[in-house]
Amino acid sequence: MTEPLPDEPKHVELKAMILLVAVGILVAAFIGYVMQARGVFEPTQRLVLETDDSSGVIPGMDMTFAGFPIGRVSQVELADDGKVRILVDVQSKDAKWLRTSSVFTLESSIVGETRLRAFTGLLNDPPLPAGATRSVLRGDATAEIPRIVATARQLLENLETMTAGESDINASLANISAVTGRMSGPAGVLGGVMGGDAEARKLREALDRINSLLNKTETRVYGKDGVMDDAQVAVRQLNVVLQDASATLKKVDAVLVEAQAVGANARVATEDLGALRGEVDASLRKVNRLVDEINRKWPFARSNQEIKLP
Amino acid sequence: MPHTLATYANPRHWGLAIARYLRSWWYMVHLGAVALVMALSPSTYNRQNRLAAARYIYASTWQVLPWFALASALISLVIIRIVLVTAKSYGLSHFALEMVVRVLVLELIPLSAAMFVALRASMAFDASALGLARAGLSARAANDEALRRLRRDMVPQLLANAFGVLSLAMVTSTIVLVLAYLNVYGLLPWGLTDYTRTVGRVFTPAVTIGFVLKTVFFGLAVALIPTAAILELQRYPRRVNVTVQPGALRLLFVLLLIEAASLALKYI
Repeated sequence: MTEPLPDEPKHVELKAMILLVAVGILVAAFIGYVMQARGVFEPTQRLVLETDDSSGVIPGMDMTFAGFPIGRVSQVELADDGKVRILVDVQSKDAKWLRTSSVFTLESSIVGETRLRAFTGLLNDPPLPAGATRSVLRGDATAEIPRIVATARQLLENLETMTAGESDINASLANISAVTGRMSGPAGVLGGVMGGDAEARKLREALDRINSLLNKTETRVYGKDGVMDDAQVAVRQLNVVLQDASATLKKVDAVLVEAQAVGANARVATEDLGALRGEVDASLRKVNRLVDEINRKWPFARSNQEIKLP
Repeated sequence: MPHTLATYANPRHWGLAIARYLRSWWYMVHLGAVALVMALSPSTYNRQNRLAAARYIYASTWQVLPWFALASALISLVIIRIVLVTAKSYGLSHFALEMVVRVLVLELIPLSAAMFVALRASMAFDASALGLARAGLSARAANDEALRRLRRDMVPQLLANAFGVLSLAMVTSTIVLVLAYLNVYGLLPWGLTDYTRTVGRVFTPAVTIGFVLKTVFFGLAVALIPTAAILELQRYPRRVNVTVQPGALRLLFVLLLIEAASLALKYI
């Protein structure tokens, strides 16, 4: 038998029963809350995202839209074609935010967790059907680091080549220095461009000569009794010649009109000749027939003596 | 032959020492299995055992729960504030809540509940013997009486201690979850959806099963190991350092082992 202990409190059994029931309810409530938190009771629709690298994606992570979690990764699997399939359970009440034109991104930063995000630009598009498969765009800051380092190294090498003692840029700078040095010489910019003071002097002399040549040309061409005066006289004479030629052409025109009239008369005469010829042909045929008749009827017909027409 | 330190220092007796060690563990496991089978058979739950179980539940849970909950809430509040403020200063405040739930609810509270129940109820053998001694029995008679009660009430005590660990862990975990919410979002209900999602992210099926299993194993260890150690001592008497509660070190070792295994399974 269980003897009561000296300091046995009252209603031990009742208190123990209260504790048992309370803790039982607490455990059940806790399990229910965790299941609710895990989304067991929420109706969801499946969305399949395809990518080529699953690093950072873990089952249970959220997919957010505008910062609000609307779905949860339920499974990550490798498909037969070597692509990673991320199965996302999107809550049915939030599925309206996903449209056929929605874009999905997977961003991994250097510090912190990978984030799966959905973007919808056009909310008027048809809603995304359940079980749809979409490809996901990866924005991986750490994946970019090797490429950035390689590019930076190349850039630095190029910079080193450019700044080396015998580099092209140094040579160009030396040339520029020489040119500007010449520019600051007595011949100024012209000396710099022409490559030296002597050349610049030659150019100046050439310019002087061209100048004097132009003066002479002006005198000879446009001056008194110059080429231009002669040309002016010649032009005037040419005008007179042209007027004469014009009168002559008018005369030729009249002659042609007359010739046309002659031609018309000749045509009429030709038409009369046609009729005359027809009559002559008819008369000849009559005479022919008459001769044939005489030949048949004439007693000398057997002697083959025929009357010959002229 | 008395088993003293000299025995273990002699290499010729190492085999014996190992055999004794293994036998001790086997005795504990065997006793635990028997106790479990008895706990699962309906015939155990007669009026006498129910009353004993109620008495042990009262001792291991009812008396402990308010003070343990209050102390845990205070310490948890401090830890939650430290984590939140530190995380905020590093700009990582969105990880703070998850860390609080992981560290406090999943790890620290079950362990401290197990320790507390072990100290309060399970290692009370000497204390109960002391109580009997105070009631007028001689030291030896009190010891025998305590041992007799221990053997008779083993199953109710095992159930009560396991239940004590579970209820302490559950109640305090709930309080900590509420405190964490209040610390982050204040008295407003608008963060509830967000908070629920965070909790859902932490309590994956594997973690939840691990949490429940760990709590149950803690309860079993706390209930079984000290009792087994005392009964073994009574069955295979040997000279021991009487200032240490039998089984205390082994209980500590097993608790740490369970905690380490749970951590390894979860995070490795």
